[in-house]
Amino acid sequence: MSEQGMIKVEVCCGTTCYLLGAQSLLALEKSMPAPWIGKVEIVAMPCLEVCTNDNYSHAPFVRINGEIVGDATVDLISKKVNDLLERHAQ
Amino acid sequence: MAMENDKLFVELEASQWIKTGQAACGDDFRCVRIPNEKRTIAVLSDGLGSGIKANLMASMTSTMALEFVRSNMDILQSAEIIMDSLPVCEIRKISYATFTVFDMQLGGKTRVVEMDNPPFIHLRNLIDLPKNNVKELVSERWPDRKMRITEVAMAPGDRLIAFSDGVTQAGLGCPGWKFGWRRDGALNFIKRTVEKNPEISARDLASVIAAEAMSIHPERKCMDDITCMVLYLRHPRVLRVITGPPFRKETDREYANLAVFPEGKVVLCGGTTANIVSRELRTRVDIDIKMVSRSGNLPPPGYMRGVGLVTEGILTLTQVAADLESGDWQNSAAAAKEIVNLMMDSDIVEFIVGTKINEAHQDPTLPVDLEMRRNVIKRLQASLENKYRKNVTIRYF
Repeated sequence: MSEQGMIKVEVCCGTTCYLLGAQSLLALEKSMPAPWIGKVEIVAMPCLEVCTNDNYSHAPFVRINGEIVGDATVDLISKKVNDLLERHAQ
Repeated sequence: MAMENDKLFVELEASQWIKTGQAACGDDFRCVRIPNEKRTIAVLSDGLGSGIKANLMASMTSTMALEFVRSNMDILQSAEIIMDSLPVCEIRKISYATFTVFDMQLGGKTRVVEMDNPPFIHLRNLIDLPKNNVKELVSERWPDRKMRITEVAMAPGDRLIAFSDGVTQAGLGCPGWKFGWRRDGALNFIKRTVEKNPEISARDLASVIAAEAMSIHPERKCMDDITCMVLYLRHPRVLRVITGPPFRKETDREYANLAVFPEGKVVLCGGTTANIVSRELRTRVDIDIKMVSRSGNLPPPGYMRGVGLVTEGILTLTQVAADLESGDWQNSAAAAKEIVNLMMDSDIVEFIVGTKINEAHQDPTLPVDLEMRRNVIKRLQASLENKYRKNVTIRYF
Protein backbone atom coordinates (compact mmCIF):
# COMPACT_ATOMS: atom_id res chain seq x y z
CA MET A 1 0.00 0.00 0.00
CA SER A 2 1.11 3.54 -0.64
CA GLU A 3 1.49 6.12 2.12
CA GLN A 4 -2.16 7.01 1.96
CA GLY A 5 -3.08 3.35 2.19
CA MET A 6 -4.12 3.21 -1.45
CA ILE A 7 -3.03 0.70 -4.04
CA LYS A 8 -1.59 2.69 -6.89
CA VAL A 9 -1.94 1.38 -10.43
CA GLU A 10 0.08 3.45 -12.91
CA VAL A 11 -0.80 2.77 -16.54
CA CYS A 12 1.89 3.59 -19.10
CA CYS A 13 0.53 5.81 -21.90
CA GLY A 14 3.65 5.68 -24.06
CA THR A 15 3.09 5.06 -27.75
CA THR A 16 3.88 1.35 -27.68
CA CYS A 17 1.84 0.55 -24.58
CA TYR A 18 -1.06 2.60 -25.85
CA LEU A 19 -1.10 0.83 -29.20
CA LEU A 20 -0.91 -2.54 -27.49
CA GLY A 21 -3.90 -2.00 -25.23
CA ALA A 22 -3.28 0.60 -22.53
CA GLN A 23 -6.51 2.35 -23.46
CA SER A 24 -8.61 -0.56 -22.21
CA LEU A 25 -6.58 -0.60 -19.00
CA LEU A 26 -7.36 3.07 -18.38
CA ALA A 27 -11.03 2.25 -18.78
CA LEU A 28 -10.72 0.33 -15.49
CA GLU A 29 -10.94 3.69 -13.73
CA LYS A 30 -14.53 4.01 -14.87
CA SER A 31 -15.56 0.42 -14.35
CA MET A 32 -13.82 -0.16 -11.04
CA PRO A 33 -15.22 -3.10 -9.03
CA ALA A 34 -17.06 -1.96 -5.89
CA PRO A 35 -14.54 -3.42 -3.39
CA TRP A 36 -11.77 -1.34 -4.99
CA ILE A 37 -13.43 2.02 -4.51
CA GLY A 38 -11.51 4.14 -2.01
CA LYS A 39 -8.70 1.60 -1.93
CA VAL A 40 -7.32 1.62 -5.45
CA GLU A 41 -6.08 4.60 -7.45
CA ILE A 42 -5.60 4.29 -11.20
CA VAL A 43 -3.41 6.93 -12.85
CA ALA A 44 -2.14 7.52 -16.37
CA MET A 45 1.63 8.00 -16.78
CA PRO A 46 3.52 9.57 -19.70
CA CYS A 47 5.87 6.58 -20.24
CA LEU A 48 7.32 4.18 -17.73
CA GLU A 49 10.28 3.57 -20.08
CA VAL A 50 10.47 -0.14 -19.44
CA CYS A 51 9.63 -1.37 -22.95
CA THR A 52 13.27 -1.16 -24.03
CA ASN A 53 14.50 -3.00 -20.95
CA ASP A 54 14.99 -6.70 -21.65
CA ASN A 55 14.47 -7.57 -18.00
CA TYR A 56 10.78 -6.99 -18.39
CA SER A 57 8.32 -8.81 -20.58
CA HIS A 58 6.23 -6.99 -23.15
CA ALA A 59 4.04 -3.89 -23.50
CA PRO A 60 1.53 -2.78 -22.29
CA PHE A 61 3.05 -2.12 -18.90
CA VAL A 62 1.55 -1.01 -15.62
CA ARG A 63 3.19 -0.39 -12.28
CA ILE A 64 1.26 -1.65 -9.29
CA ASN A 65 2.58 -0.23 -6.02
CA GLY A 66 6.01 0.08 -7.58
CA GLU A 67 6.10 -3.37 -9.20
CA ILE A 68 6.31 -3.43 -13.00
CA VAL A 69 3.79 -5.76 -14.63
CA GLY A 70 4.21 -6.52 -18.33
CA ASP A 71 1.73 -7.95 -20.85
CA ALA A 72 -0.87 -6.25 -18.73
CA THR A 73 -4.53 -7.04 -19.25
CA VAL A 74 -7.59 -6.07 -17.27
CA ASP A 75 -7.73 -9.62 -15.89
CA LEU A 76 -4.08 -9.63 -14.86
CA ILE A 77 -4.38 -6.25 -13.12
CA SER A 78 -7.59 -7.36 -11.40
CA LYS A 79 -5.85 -10.49 -10.11
CA LYS A 80 -2.81 -8.58 -8.84
CA VAL A 81 -4.90 -5.91 -7.17
CA ASN A 82 -7.28 -8.43 -5.60
CA ASP A 83 -4.29 -10.36 -4.26
CA LEU A 84 -2.91 -7.19 -2.70
CA LEU A 85 -6.28 -6.29 -1.21
CA GLU A 86 -6.61 -9.79 0.26
CA ARG A 87 -3.12 -9.66 1.69
CA HIS A 88 -3.86 -6.33 3.34
CA ALA A 89 -7.16 -7.58 4.71
CA GLN A 90 -5.48 -10.45 6.57
CA MET B 1 -0.79 35.38 -42.07
CA ALA B 2 2.16 36.20 -39.94
CA MET B 3 5.46 37.62 -40.94
CA GLU B 4 8.40 39.27 -39.31
CA ASN B 5 8.50 43.02 -39.54
CA ASP B 6 11.59 44.03 -37.62
CA LYS B 7 10.72 42.45 -34.30
CA LEU B 8 6.98 42.79 -34.76
CA PHE B 9 4.51 40.59 -36.52
CA VAL B 10 1.84 41.25 -39.04
CA GLU B 11 -1.12 39.01 -38.42
CA LEU B 12 -3.55 39.12 -41.31
CA GLU B 13 -6.77 37.16 -41.41
CA ALA B 14 -10.21 37.36 -42.97
CA SER B 15 -13.61 35.90 -42.27
CA GLN B 16 -16.41 35.38 -44.78
CA TRP B 17 -20.09 34.48 -44.96
CA ILE B 18 -21.71 33.54 -48.23
CA LYS B 19 -25.03 35.08 -49.27
CA THR B 20 -27.80 32.65 -48.32
CA GLY B 21 -28.68 30.38 -51.23
CA GLN B 22 -25.43 30.90 -53.14
CA ALA B 23 -22.76 28.30 -53.67
CA ALA B 24 -19.80 30.66 -53.86
CA CYS B 25 -18.81 33.86 -52.11
CA GLY B 26 -19.02 36.98 -54.26
CA ASP B 27 -16.17 38.55 -52.27
CA ASP B 28 -12.59 37.44 -52.43
CA PHE B 29 -9.69 37.78 -50.04
CA ARG B 30 -6.11 36.93 -50.81
CA CYS B 31 -2.73 37.84 -49.45
CA VAL B 32 0.93 37.29 -50.04
CA ARG B 33 4.04 37.84 -48.05
CA ILE B 34 7.36 38.72 -49.59
CA PRO B 35 9.89 37.83 -46.90
CA ASN B 36 12.96 39.31 -48.58
CA GLU B 37 11.21 42.69 -48.88
CA LYS B 38 9.60 42.27 -45.44
CA ARG B 39 6.36 43.13 -47.09
CA THR B 40 2.78 41.89 -46.68
CA ILE B 41 0.08 42.55 -49.26
CA ALA B 42 -3.59 41.72 -48.87
CA VAL B 43 -6.58 42.37 -51.10
CA LEU B 44 -10.29 42.25 -50.38
CA SER B 45 -12.49 42.46 -53.45
CA ASP B 46 -16.26 42.52 -53.85
CA GLY B 47 -17.67 41.40 -57.21
CA LEU B 48 -20.87 42.77 -58.71
CA GLY B 49 -23.93 40.77 -57.70
CA SER B 50 -23.51 37.44 -55.99
CA GLY B 51 -22.75 33.80 -56.64
CA ILE B 52 -20.33 32.36 -59.17
CA LYS B 53 -20.30 35.41 -61.47
CA ALA B 54 -19.45 37.76 -58.62
CA ASN B 55 -16.93 35.27 -57.31
CA LEU B 56 -15.16 35.23 -60.67
CA MET B 57 -15.04 39.01 -60.89
CA ALA B 58 -13.83 39.36 -57.32
CA SER B 59 -11.17 36.67 -57.80
CA MET B 60 -9.96 38.23 -61.05
CA THR B 61 -9.77 41.63 -59.39
CA SER B 62 -7.96 40.46 -56.29
CA THR B 63 -5.50 38.33 -58.27
CA MET B 64 -4.64 41.19 -60.62
CA ALA B 65 -4.50 43.79 -57.86
CA LEU B 66 -2.19 41.60 -55.79
CA GLU B 67 0.18 41.06 -58.72
CA PHE B 68 0.21 44.72 -59.79
CA VAL B 69 0.86 45.99 -56.28
CA ARG B 70 3.50 43.36 -55.74
CA SER B 71 5.35 44.45 -58.88
CA ASN B 72 5.06 48.13 -57.84
CA MET B 73 3.11 49.04 -60.96
CA ASP B 74 1.43 52.44 -61.20
CA ILE B 75 -1.82 52.08 -59.30
CA LEU B 76 -4.01 54.09 -61.67
CA GLN B 77 -2.83 52.09 -64.64
CA SER B 78 -3.40 48.89 -62.64
CA ALA B 79 -6.97 49.86 -61.86
CA GLU B 80 -7.63 50.68 -65.52
CA ILE B 81 -6.33 47.28 -66.60
CA ILE B 82 -8.52 45.59 -64.00
CA MET B 83 -11.63 47.46 -65.17
CA ASP B 84 -10.84 46.88 -68.83
CA SER B 85 -10.49 43.16 -68.16
CA LEU B 86 -13.75 42.64 -66.30
CA PRO B 87 -16.93 41.91 -68.24
CA VAL B 88 -19.37 44.81 -68.37
CA CYS B 89 -22.71 44.43 -66.60
CA GLU B 90 -25.51 44.58 -69.16
CA ILE B 91 -27.85 46.51 -66.89
CA ARG B 92 -25.52 48.94 -65.20
CA LYS B 93 -23.03 49.20 -68.07
CA ILE B 94 -20.11 49.08 -65.68
CA SER B 95 -17.45 46.50 -65.12
CA TYR B 96 -17.81 46.19 -61.49
CA ALA B 97 -15.61 45.00 -58.72
CA THR B 98 -14.39 46.97 -55.75
CA PHE B 99 -11.19 46.44 -53.84
CA THR B 100 -9.18 47.40 -50.79
CA VAL B 101 -5.44 46.73 -50.75
CA PHE B 102 -3.22 46.75 -47.68
CA ASP B 103 0.42 47.01 -48.70
CA MET B 104 2.54 46.93 -45.57
CA GLN B 105 6.23 47.40 -45.85
CA LEU B 106 9.23 47.29 -43.57
CA GLY B 107 8.80 49.30 -40.37
CA GLY B 108 5.01 49.52 -40.52
CA LYS B 109 4.86 51.95 -43.48
CA THR B 110 1.61 51.03 -45.14
CA ARG B 111 -0.21 52.09 -48.24
CA VAL B 112 -3.93 51.45 -48.46
CA VAL B 113 -5.56 51.60 -51.88
CA GLU B 114 -9.35 51.63 -51.95
CA MET B 115 -11.86 51.64 -54.72
CA ASP B 116 -15.52 51.82 -53.72
CA ASN B 117 -15.32 49.58 -50.66
CA PRO B 118 -16.42 51.03 -47.29
CA PRO B 119 -13.53 53.16 -45.93
CA PHE B 120 -11.08 51.13 -43.87
CA ILE B 121 -10.57 51.59 -40.13
CA HIS B 122 -7.17 52.32 -38.59
CA LEU B 123 -7.67 51.43 -34.96
CA ARG B 124 -5.22 52.62 -32.31
CA ASN B 125 -6.12 52.63 -28.60
CA LEU B 126 -9.81 52.28 -29.44
CA ILE B 127 -9.68 55.32 -31.73
CA ASP B 128 -10.35 55.26 -35.47
CA LEU B 129 -7.40 57.44 -36.44
CA PRO B 130 -8.32 60.21 -38.88
CA LYS B 131 -6.54 59.85 -42.20
CA ASN B 132 -4.41 62.83 -43.08
CA ASN B 133 -2.42 61.62 -46.03
CA VAL B 134 -5.03 60.79 -48.63
CA LYS B 135 -4.79 61.13 -52.39
CA GLU B 136 -7.72 60.69 -54.77
CA LEU B 137 -7.21 59.45 -58.30
CA VAL B 138 -9.72 59.31 -61.14
CA SER B 139 -9.20 57.43 -64.36
CA GLU B 140 -9.94 59.31 -67.57
CA ARG B 141 -11.41 56.21 -69.09
CA TRP B 142 -13.52 55.29 -66.06
CA PRO B 143 -14.50 58.69 -64.63
CA ASP B 144 -17.15 57.19 -62.33
CA ARG B 145 -14.59 55.27 -60.36
CA LYS B 146 -12.53 57.04 -57.73
CA MET B 147 -9.52 55.57 -56.00
CA ARG B 148 -8.25 56.64 -52.61
CA ILE B 149 -4.66 56.09 -51.64
CA THR B 150 -3.87 56.52 -47.97
CA GLU B 151 -0.42 56.42 -46.44
CA VAL B 152 -0.55 55.04 -42.91
CA ALA B 153 2.24 54.80 -40.33
CA MET B 154 1.51 51.73 -38.25
CA ALA B 155 2.59 51.50 -34.62
CA PRO B 156 2.77 48.32 -32.55
CA GLY B 157 -0.73 47.29 -31.47
CA ASP B 158 -2.42 49.02 -34.43
CA ARG B 159 -5.07 47.29 -36.49
CA LEU B 160 -6.31 47.93 -40.01
CA ILE B 161 -9.81 46.67 -40.67
CA ALA B 162 -11.58 46.56 -44.02
CA PHE B 163 -14.86 45.01 -45.03
CA SER B 164 -17.16 44.55 -47.97
CA ASP B 165 -20.49 46.40 -48.05
CA GLY B 166 -22.14 43.19 -46.82
CA VAL B 167 -20.93 44.33 -43.39
CA THR B 168 -21.93 48.00 -43.51
CA GLN B 169 -25.27 47.25 -45.17
CA ALA B 170 -26.18 44.37 -42.87
CA GLY B 171 -29.84 44.57 -41.90
CA LEU B 172 -30.53 47.37 -44.41
CA GLY B 173 -34.20 48.36 -44.45
CA CYS B 174 -35.11 46.21 -41.47
CA PRO B 175 -36.76 47.61 -38.35
CA GLY B 176 -34.06 49.20 -36.23
CA TRP B 177 -31.59 49.12 -39.10
CA LYS B 178 -33.17 51.50 -41.58
CA PHE B 179 -29.80 52.33 -43.10
CA GLY B 180 -28.09 49.10 -42.19
CA TRP B 181 -25.34 48.53 -39.63
CA ARG B 182 -23.20 51.19 -41.35
CA ARG B 183 -19.53 51.82 -40.77
CA ASP B 184 -20.24 53.56 -37.47
CA GLY B 185 -22.21 50.60 -36.16
CA ALA B 186 -19.41 48.24 -37.09
CA LEU B 187 -16.83 50.61 -35.58
CA ASN B 188 -18.67 50.80 -32.26
CA PHE B 189 -18.92 47.03 -32.16
CA ILE B 190 -15.18 46.72 -32.91
CA LYS B 191 -14.30 49.21 -30.16
CA ARG B 192 -16.42 47.33 -27.62
CA THR B 193 -14.88 44.02 -28.66
CA VAL B 194 -11.31 45.29 -28.47
CA GLU B 195 -11.98 47.05 -25.16
CA LYS B 196 -13.15 43.76 -23.67
CA ASN B 197 -10.27 41.79 -25.17
CA PRO B 198 -7.40 44.18 -25.99
CA GLU B 199 -5.18 41.46 -27.44
CA ILE B 200 -7.81 39.78 -29.58
CA SER B 201 -6.14 38.17 -32.60
CA ALA B 202 -6.84 39.28 -36.16
CA ARG B 203 -8.42 35.88 -36.79
CA ASP B 204 -10.87 36.18 -33.89
CA LEU B 205 -11.68 39.85 -34.53
CA ALA B 206 -12.43 39.27 -38.23
CA SER B 207 -14.55 36.32 -37.30
CA VAL B 208 -16.64 38.14 -34.64
CA ILE B 209 -17.20 41.17 -36.88
CA ALA B 210 -18.43 38.98 -39.75
CA ALA B 211 -20.58 36.92 -37.37
CA GLU B 212 -22.12 40.06 -35.83
CA ALA B 213 -22.91 41.46 -39.29
CA MET B 214 -24.50 38.12 -40.14
CA SER B 215 -26.59 38.12 -36.95
CA ILE B 216 -28.10 41.53 -37.82
CA HIS B 217 -29.77 40.08 -40.90
CA PRO B 218 -33.40 39.11 -40.31
CA GLU B 219 -33.79 35.40 -39.56
CA ARG B 220 -30.01 35.13 -39.97
CA LYS B 221 -30.49 35.01 -43.71
CA CYS B 222 -27.39 36.53 -45.25
CA MET B 223 -28.61 39.07 -47.83
CA ASP B 224 -25.16 39.86 -49.23
CA ASP B 225 -21.73 38.30 -49.09
CA ILE B 226 -19.86 39.37 -45.97
CA THR B 227 -16.09 39.67 -45.76
CA CYS B 228 -13.99 41.27 -43.08
CA MET B 229 -10.21 41.45 -43.19
CA VAL B 230 -8.07 42.47 -40.24
CA LEU B 231 -4.39 43.30 -40.13
CA TYR B 232 -2.84 43.38 -36.67
CA LEU B 233 0.71 44.57 -36.01
CA ARG B 234 1.94 43.08 -32.78
CA HIS B 235 4.58 41.21 -30.90
CA PRO B 236 4.70 37.62 -32.06
CA ARG B 237 3.11 34.74 -30.18
CA VAL B 238 5.40 31.76 -30.11
CA LEU B 239 4.59 28.11 -29.57
CA ARG B 240 7.49 25.75 -28.91
CA VAL B 241 6.85 22.08 -29.65
CA ILE B 242 9.46 19.81 -28.11
CA THR B 243 9.41 16.19 -29.27
CA GLY B 244 11.70 13.18 -29.21
CA PRO B 245 14.73 12.35 -27.08
CA PRO B 246 18.01 14.08 -28.08
CA PHE B 247 20.51 12.07 -30.10
CA ARG B 248 23.16 12.42 -27.39
CA LYS B 249 22.22 11.86 -23.78
CA GLU B 250 24.78 14.47 -22.67
CA THR B 251 22.55 17.19 -24.13
CA ASP B 252 19.50 16.17 -22.08
CA ARG B 253 19.86 19.07 -19.69
CA GLU B 254 20.30 21.67 -22.42
CA TYR B 255 17.29 20.14 -24.19
CA ALA B 256 15.15 20.17 -21.04
CA ASN B 257 16.00 23.81 -20.34
CA LEU B 258 14.31 24.73 -23.63
CA ALA B 259 11.03 23.70 -22.03
CA VAL B 260 11.24 26.69 -19.70
CA PHE B 261 10.07 29.39 -22.07
CA PRO B 262 8.27 32.34 -20.49
CA GLU B 263 8.19 34.23 -23.83
CA GLY B 264 5.70 31.77 -25.28
CA LYS B 265 3.87 28.49 -24.81
CA VAL B 266 5.33 25.00 -24.74
CA VAL B 267 4.05 21.56 -25.69
CA LEU B 268 5.97 18.40 -24.90
CA CYS B 269 5.07 15.61 -27.32
CA GLY B 270 6.25 12.19 -26.24
CA GLY B 271 6.48 10.16 -23.06
CA THR B 272 10.27 9.90 -23.17
CA THR B 273 10.54 13.62 -23.90
CA ALA B 274 8.32 14.41 -20.92
CA ASN B 275 10.38 12.10 -18.72
CA ILE B 276 13.66 13.75 -19.71
CA VAL B 277 12.26 17.22 -19.00
CA SER B 278 10.64 16.02 -15.81
CA ARG B 279 13.88 14.43 -14.59
CA GLU B 280 16.10 17.40 -15.47
CA LEU B 281 13.76 20.12 -14.21
CA ARG B 282 12.57 18.10 -11.23
CA THR B 283 8.94 18.64 -11.98
CA ARG B 284 6.22 16.16 -12.76
CA VAL B 285 3.48 15.44 -15.24
CA ASP B 286 -0.13 15.21 -14.14
CA ILE B 287 -2.54 13.41 -16.39
CA ASP B 288 -6.16 13.87 -15.54
CA ILE B 289 -7.63 10.40 -15.80
CA LYS B 290 -11.03 11.98 -16.37
CA MET B 291 -9.65 13.11 -19.72
CA VAL B 292 -9.59 9.48 -20.85
CA SER B 293 -13.23 9.59 -21.89
CA ARG B 294 -12.53 12.65 -24.07
CA SER B 295 -9.18 11.48 -25.34
CA GLY B 296 -10.61 9.62 -28.35
CA ASN B 297 -8.13 7.38 -30.09
CA LEU B 298 -5.10 9.04 -28.51
CA PRO B 299 -3.51 8.85 -25.06
CA PRO B 300 -4.89 11.54 -22.77
CA PRO B 301 -3.03 14.87 -22.52
CA GLY B 302 -1.38 15.98 -19.29
CA TYR B 303 0.21 19.12 -17.86
CA MET B 304 3.62 19.83 -16.45
CA ARG B 305 3.72 22.67 -13.97
CA GLY B 306 5.89 25.54 -15.19
CA VAL B 307 6.06 24.07 -18.68
CA GLY B 308 2.67 23.40 -20.26
CA LEU B 309 0.83 20.74 -22.20
CA VAL B 310 2.22 17.20 -22.36
CA THR B 311 1.00 14.62 -24.88
CA GLU B 312 2.03 11.31 -26.35
CA GLY B 313 4.40 11.76 -29.30
CA ILE B 314 4.16 10.25 -32.72
CA LEU B 315 0.49 9.17 -32.80
CA THR B 316 -0.64 12.58 -31.54
CA LEU B 317 1.56 14.53 -33.96
CA THR B 318 0.37 12.35 -36.86
CA GLN B 319 -3.22 13.16 -35.86
CA VAL B 320 -2.36 16.88 -35.64
CA ALA B 321 -0.89 16.72 -39.17
CA ALA B 322 -4.04 15.03 -40.48
CA ASP B 323 -6.27 17.60 -38.70
CA LEU B 324 -4.32 20.52 -40.14
CA GLU B 325 -4.43 19.01 -43.62
CA SER B 326 -8.19 18.40 -43.48
CA GLY B 327 -8.91 21.71 -41.73
CA ASP B 328 -11.38 19.98 -39.41
CA TRP B 329 -10.39 19.30 -35.82
CA GLN B 330 -13.60 20.00 -33.93
CA ASN B 331 -14.17 16.32 -33.18
CA SER B 332 -10.56 15.32 -32.95
CA ALA B 333 -9.04 13.57 -29.93
CA ALA B 334 -8.41 15.91 -26.98
CA ALA B 335 -4.59 15.88 -27.20
CA ALA B 336 -4.50 16.67 -30.93
CA LYS B 337 -7.21 19.32 -30.63
CA GLU B 338 -5.37 21.12 -27.84
CA ILE B 339 -2.17 21.22 -29.90
CA VAL B 340 -3.97 22.48 -33.03
CA ASN B 341 -5.69 25.23 -31.03
CA LEU B 342 -2.35 26.33 -29.57
CA MET B 343 -0.87 26.38 -33.08
CA MET B 344 -3.75 28.45 -34.42
CA ASP B 345 -3.24 31.02 -31.65
CA SER B 346 0.46 31.40 -32.48
CA ASP B 347 2.42 33.26 -35.16
CA ILE B 348 5.61 31.26 -34.87
CA VAL B 349 5.79 27.53 -34.27
CA GLU B 350 9.23 26.35 -33.21
CA PHE B 351 9.84 22.62 -33.39
CA ILE B 352 12.66 21.25 -31.26
CA VAL B 353 13.10 17.70 -32.53
CA GLY B 354 15.18 15.05 -30.77
CA THR B 355 16.60 12.65 -33.33
CA LYS B 356 17.32 9.54 -31.28
CA ILE B 357 15.54 6.50 -32.67
CA ASN B 358 12.98 5.23 -30.24
CA GLU B 359 13.73 1.54 -29.82
CA ALA B 360 10.29 0.86 -28.43
CA HIS B 361 8.78 1.86 -31.77
CA GLN B 362 10.68 -0.94 -33.49
CA ASP B 363 8.51 -3.56 -31.77
CA PRO B 364 7.31 -5.95 -34.53
CA THR B 365 4.07 -6.66 -32.67
CA LEU B 366 2.83 -3.08 -33.05
CA PRO B 367 -0.46 -3.10 -34.96
CA VAL B 368 0.37 0.01 -37.06
CA ASP B 369 3.35 1.41 -38.91
CA LEU B 370 4.59 4.44 -37.04
CA GLU B 371 5.67 7.28 -39.22
CA MET B 372 9.15 8.71 -38.79
CA ARG B 373 9.08 11.70 -36.46
CA ARG B 374 10.99 13.85 -38.92
CA ASN B 375 8.52 13.10 -41.72
CA VAL B 376 5.58 14.10 -39.53
CA ILE B 377 7.32 17.34 -38.60
CA LYS B 378 7.82 18.10 -42.30
CA ARG B 379 4.11 17.49 -42.95
CA LEU B 380 3.25 19.83 -40.08
CA GLN B 381 5.61 22.47 -41.40
CA ALA B 382 4.10 22.31 -44.90
CA SER B 383 0.53 22.71 -43.59
CA LEU B 384 1.35 25.43 -41.08
CA GLU B 385 3.29 27.51 -43.59
CA ASN B 386 1.22 27.04 -46.71
CA LYS B 387 -2.30 26.65 -45.38
CA TYR B 388 -2.23 28.57 -42.10
CA ARG B 389 0.46 31.13 -42.94
CA LYS B 390 2.50 30.53 -39.79
CA ASN B 391 6.24 30.96 -39.50
CA VAL B 392 7.86 27.62 -38.72
CA THR B 393 11.36 26.86 -37.52
CA ILE B 394 12.80 23.40 -36.92
CA ARG B 395 15.82 22.67 -34.78
CA TYR B 396 17.15 19.14 -34.55
CA PHE B 397 18.78 17.93 -31.37
